[in-house]
Amino acid sequence: MRNLSLVAALLAGSAMTTPVLADGHLQIVDGDPLELTIQMNHRAYPIYEEDWPVEQKARELTNVHLVDVTVGANMRTDSENTGRTEALNLMLASGEVPDIVGSSRIRDFVNQYGPEGAFIPLNDLIEEHAPNIKAYYDQRPDIAAAVKAADGQMYYIPYLPDGKYGRAYWVRTDWLNNLGLEVPQTVEEFEAVLRAFKTQDPNGNGEADEIPFFARQWPELIRLVTLWDGRAHGSDTYHDFLVEDGKVSHGYFGEGYREGIKNLARWYAEGLIDPEVFTRGSSARDFLFSENLGGATHDWFASTGGYNSLSSEIEGFELKAMAPPASISGKRVEEHRRILVKPDGWAIGHTNEHPVETIKYFDFWFTEEGRRLANFGVEGMHYDMVDGKPIFKQEFLDAGPVNRSLYQNGAQLQGRGYFQDYNYEIQWTNEFALEGIALYDEGDYLIPDFLGVAFDPEEQKIYDKYWGSVRDYMLERQQAWILGSGDVEAEWDDYLAQLDSLGLQEVLGVMQSAYERQYGG
Amino acid sequence: MVEEHTTATGLPIEEAVIEAKEAQRHQVKNDRWTRLLDHFRREWQIYAMLLPTIVWFVVFLYKPMYGLQIAFKDYSIFRGVANSPWVGFEHFETLFSNDQFLRAVSNTIKISALNLLFGFPAPIILALMFNEILNATYKRAAQTIVYLPHFISSVIIAGIVITAFSPTAGIVNTVIGWFGLDPVYFLTQPEWFRPIFVGTGIWQEAGFGSIVFLAAIAGVSPSLYESAVVDGANRWQMMWKITIPSILPTILIMLIIRIGNIMEVSFELIILLYQPATYETADVVNTWVYRQGLQSGQYDLAAAAGLFNAVVAFALVMTANSLSRRYSRTSLW
Repeated sequence: MRNLSLVAALLAGSAMTTPVLADGHLQIVDGDPLELTIQMNHRAYPIYEEDWPVEQKARELTNVHLVDVTVGANMRTDSENTGRTEALNLMLASGEVPDIVGSSRIRDFVNQYGPEGAFIPLNDLIEEHAPNIKAYYDQRPDIAAAVKAADGQMYYIPYLPDGKYGRAYWVRTDWLNNLGLEVPQTVEEFEAVLRAFKTQDPNGNGEADEIPFFARQWPELIRLVTLWDGRAHGSDTYHDFLVEDGKVSHGYFGEGYREGIKNLARWYAEGLIDPEVFTRGSSARDFLFSENLGGATHDWFASTGGYNSLSSEIEGFELKAMAPPASISGKRVEEHRRILVKPDGWAIGHTNEHPVETIKYFDFWFTEEGRRLANFGVEGMHYDMVDGKPIFKQEFLDAGPVNRSLYQNGAQLQGRGYFQDYNYEIQWTNEFALEGIALYDEGDYLIPDFLGVAFDPEEQKIYDKYWGSVRDYMLERQQAWILGSGDVEAEWDDYLAQLDSLGLQEVLGVMQSAYERQYGG
Repeated sequence: MVEEHTTATGLPIEEAVIEAKEAQRHQVKNDRWTRLLDHFRREWQIYAMLLPTIVWFVVFLYKPMYGLQIAFKDYSIFRGVANSPWVGFEHFETLFSNDQFLRAVSNTIKISALNLLFGFPAPIILALMFNEILNATYKRAAQTIVYLPHFISSVIIAGIVITAFSPTAGIVNTVIGWFGLDPVYFLTQPEWFRPIFVGTGIWQEAGFGSIVFLAAIAGVSPSLYESAVVDGANRWQMMWKITIPSILPTILIMLIIRIGNIMEVSFELIILLYQPATYETADVVNTWVYRQGLQSGQYDLAAAAGLFNAVVAFALVMTANSLSRRYSRTSLW
């Protein structure tokens, strides 16, 4: 049975026109299987098992056996990912680095300890032994630059997300209909809609209990400064830096930001924004939609579109993505997008005696078969090939949340370096999300995001010394201004002066030098 | 019941035997080490019972002290404690040139002072109140109710606090609403953070903290109260003249221990309750260390801050101890 499906997979692979290696060449070693130890911590699902169907299949195809030696908790799934970082630190502190280390949030870690000797540099290995990875990097030099450490070496093979769209503006279109309003097209109209939600009782219960705009993660509220031509987060990491005309900058000291915060403070005072936006937390979306209280938010396409199933409980419930309202200068901007390269992936430990075989194994996941295995699971078990395309089996889609099922079979692991295929997601994305994505695709609202830099030790020291304080101060004032306990207009000059005295310019200086080294200015 | 074997002088036989042996040995050998060895041989069971505690101290408190040196090093996990280069007092300079660290130190002291002022007397008062309850069933029920919050995890406590002080659905704002006042978003207002935090701490720990004082009260000799009753003292007078003076040594010891913990506020609760908007009053040394040191992997800086904390705490304990010894003849050592 197993051999049969192997043959099927190989046949399917070679039937395609892409440069796939011929039969049998996926085998990395002949004879006895090569055993490599692995530490695997990944964000979305808290365990790793050698016997997941995907891992078994990979073993069969490559003759490389991964042996799980993970240390440290892989249990915490908080947004800051501290659990993963702790596990990596624990692993390194224990003095034993496994042959392969795969983790979410691995970039800064390998880029710091790789140059110190904890991980094997990969540039030459990729050049000589990893044709598929090399082919990818040849096409995307920007991503190749983004994963490098300060010494110019790559120390990890990243998880590369596919698909452009992440979050969108969502609005209760049935509320709009109830009040006879159109989908807002400008920031002024957006404000008018939110005010109508607040004052005209769209849920019809006779109380002004509606929460016009809310956000599960309060930094999403700050993203609204783009409506006043400001910038908030330079990437999918909150409060991240951004690049303007080849200069590394930050959103939190621009004129548009100041204007945006001033207006958000006004919205907050008028009750257009959830009064509890800073403390309501991750259950806000669940609570406010299911209680028929929330009017608009800025959140992920797929999961937010799913709330339309509430229409069976709430009469007429309809939640649709809307295009970003035009800003005061008429620009429509969606600041959030799926980042091109994640800081997740895997690396080769310094005690690995088989670096060549290991990089070949990494390369396997970038072959046609490997990529399909990483994305869709095992053919015949999780998906079938239909017209040359992998299509999930219906019983697999029906078995519960698809992402979770995939994790439970070892697919879509973010601690593995692989190139995601967005087709895996489209097959089970709800119609509302697909409609929204089509809307955003048509409008082309996305802006480039910041892919990050790798510091050398001196730069790292300066960054560590100042950035924490600068960031804390930025966030402190940001919240104070929105809550009305400070006045952004009155305090602005002092704010800028204080940022400088806390070391903002030093931080921007090292960001800039690292950026120029990494991306060639 | 087994009959006690006693000697003519009233001593149990075993003790008399020991006395005799001890006296003999004294005559034969006056060597200190031999006596010590004999002492161990005789009392080894007691030392065996002490052993786990000693091992615990060595493994978890003394051995980690080796790692304290990273406060003076440019620490890299990969290079390890021994191989990281020395940097002298660089981390301390970083700390003391950082306004936010200094603010965190000041916040820590302020929150601890409030805790001491309001949180320290609370369990004593509670214990005295329990002591005056006559109905045993009622007393036990009341005690159980006030002990309970101690066993709830901080995460749940924080959830309760956030809900209770919520501006839209919270009980506190509902009550405020009855008086026609506008709701207050307490958890984002710096001036409210400390009262809420200290109040929560008292609610959670006062009951459990009262146990030690209740035990001390139980140890007061009943004859004192009996003679006070004979002298016509009322309950109020008995409390002030007998109970409190009798448990004063316990109070002082608890106070010294408490002062030693002044730099340690329960930071997990702060992390769960604070916001950038309330950093101004809520950010304490431990939360600052957590954000700057651990989240961004600066273990050496975090170790320096921890060492600073420990030195301050040590100085405070020594001061409190010597003051207590001087003025009340009660002290830890």
